Amino acid sequence: MSLAVIGVSHHTAPVEIRERMAFAPSEASQALMTLRQEAGVQEAVLLSTCNRTEVYLFPAERIEVVQAWEAMLEVKAGRIERRIQDYLFEQRGDGVVRHLFQVSSGLDSLVTGEAEIQGQVREAYERAVGMPVDPPLAGPVLNRLFQMALSVGGQVRSETPIGEGAASAASVAVKLARKIFGSLKGKRVLIVGAGQTGELIVQALHREGAEGITVVNRTYERAAHLARQVHGQALEMDRLAQGLSGVDIVLSSTAAPHPVLTREIFRRAFPNGLRRPLLVIDIAIPRDVDPVLGDESGVFLYNVDDLRKIVDEQVRLREGAIPEADRIIRAQHEEFRTWYASLEVVPVIRTMRDRADEFRTSELERLFRGMDHLSDRDRARLEEFSHRLMNKLLHDPTVRLRKGIRGGGGSRLVEAARFLYGMEDHEHPDPGSGKARTKDDRDHDPAWGGSKEKRGA
Amino acid sequence: MIHLVPLLIYAVALLLWIRLLLKGADVQDPAVPAGITGLGVVVHAIALGSFWTRFGELPLVGPGAALSSLAFVGGLAMVATLPLKDVGRVAIALLPVVMVMQGVALILGIRPSDTALDFQGAGFVLHVSFAFLGYQGLALAFAAGLLYLIQHHELKEKRLGRFFHFIPPLATLDRLGRVGVWGGFGALTVALILGWAWTVEHRGSLEIYDPKVLWAVTSWFVFLGILAARGGGGRNDYRGAVASVVGFGVVIGTYLILRVTVGGAGLFL
Repeated sequence: MSLAVIGVSHHTAPVEIRERMAFAPSEASQALMTLRQEAGVQEAVLLSTCNRTEVYLFPAERIEVVQAWEAMLEVKAGRIERRIQDYLFEQRGDGVVRHLFQVSSGLDSLVTGEAEIQGQVREAYERAVGMPVDPPLAGPVLNRLFQMALSVGGQVRSETPIGEGAASAASVAVKLARKIFGSLKGKRVLIVGAGQTGELIVQALHREGAEGITVVNRTYERAAHLARQVHGQALEMDRLAQGLSGVDIVLSSTAAPHPVLTREIFRRAFPNGLRRPLLVIDIAIPRDVDPVLGDESGVFLYNVDDLRKIVDEQVRLREGAIPEADRIIRAQHEEFRTWYASLEVVPVIRTMRDRADEFRTSELERLFRGMDHLSDRDRARLEEFSHRLMNKLLHDPTVRLRKGIRGGGGSRLVEAARFLYGMEDHEHPDPGSGKARTKDDRDHDPAWGGSKEKRGA
Repeated sequence: MIHLVPLLIYAVALLLWIRLLLKGADVQDPAVPAGITGLGVVVHAIALGSFWTRFGELPLVGPGAALSSLAFVGGLAMVATLPLKDVGRVAIALLPVVMVMQGVALILGIRPSDTALDFQGAGFVLHVSFAFLGYQGLALAFAAGLLYLIQHHELKEKRLGRFFHFIPPLATLDRLGRVGVWGGFGALTVALILGWAWTVEHRGSLEIYDPKVLWAVTSWFVFLGILAARGGGGRNDYRGAVASVVGFGVVIGTYLILRVTVGGAGLFL
């Protein structure tokens, strides 16, 4: 299978390298254009997220394409301590299909089962489809591969709990809030302290529709700064009780050495007790919120350990779904392989026929050389006979080969046909381009026993 | 036999809801269990319709027939919730109630009331229909309240397990409980007035110790209690959920006690 994927991912490169090599959408389009116009790539899709930047290539043999891609990454990376190849990974052949299916299903993500990757794969594919080049960069093979990958991703998410639950502090906070309040539209949030994790959580809540965000901080200026970012209001720390009354969600992340949200402040904020649920998320260490507040009716108090425990549980739940997801991927992988083999079989059949025709013609010529007395009519009849004989001899193998491929015989049957007709020592027809591949090429193809993983290792 | 079919479909639907719960799924589409639940209610309607056409009377009188109709109203309440996002999951608590009613109805026998020929007329039909709506409003409030308490417990205990994922948000359950209680209270109030008017017209006076009357009045006061719990200061959502669960238990308990202890309750549901 003449496919390759080459790039960097969270498996091979730290974030400071990955972020340098990330392509913005316009840069990705430009890179694809360069690969086509300057390196002559036939089919290519570039996927770039915060966790990976990788290009899918078909056919994968042109060394100029690989070199052009590596050069682009080198330029993006700028000055780095190690060689660019030390961070690259490369998959070829069959492994590319499995890799992309795992990527689109979220199995290869930093957080197993994360949902964003499906949309990112779709964007990458649509970008290649939309490139103004002819023939299209998402040609028959990559088109099929990416469509199947998107379908596999959807199937894995709908049939397994791989994407269930929340796997980060911010997503846990949103999940908790939604399970208490339903829609977060119009819910009021109080932020105590202005740490970075707190900011991420507030932004996540804000995206879900939470409004009326009040920021309380020891330093008023800092509170005002964060408040401006989330279109909220700032309060001094001594007005905490005032900020607390009337909110639905409290998020605390100060660096104070003692609790800032005490029972006394709570009583002042709610002198008649709570009338509705209050979600309190305390991500400070040491804790900002007096744990006894968790005993109050209507208060749902979660500290950093609780959140971590929940995240761990969700990750475990997702990981438990990996075998089932893997089963789906394997089945779809097999389907792609069968489809690909059905492409491969066409040039094989063509070569079989060409070769048989060569034999037929040469044998006829030899025969006619010693039989000058034959009339034109007799020659024509012999020629017709040789045609019929060749067709009859090839008919059954051709039909059975096609049938076998459809039945899941895949590349093994194609290989057997090549072997039987003596094609394996010569050239290897390429289904996508119609170009021939050499034996050397096949040494680099896992489908032929060759494989590469991390580069430069 | 036809009355057994909806029960079997309800059982299948319940298993499918339980399967969804066990998957720990909150994003997975509940279309299949919801569809089967809806199918059960449609088949239930056909079964009750066939009773009507066969015997020429509505299945409202006699324990078996009336219980089956009551179960059907419960099914209708479920169907009403199914199209609403997340809310349809309340079926997991309401289906067992409906199934128990239909199961008991089958045991008692869903047959016509040979002795109650005076139970006719639009007033009577409306009275019974409103009463059923009232009781099913309470059943809906019970189901919502029960799920609310489970979800509340999960959130308090910080266990984001299967129940957490499956059960709708607290706010949704609170709203559903409120709709059930207010709707049920209104319907039962109308049913009591219609029943009183019908009895006075056909029987001359209202027998306060009639088990039906005792049960209906007790249920009405239970509704009042739940509404009181939902009003006032503090956490009225939580109190409302507790009151709905307890209130439903009181209504069922009262019914059982009346059936066992009060004579002449043969026609009483």
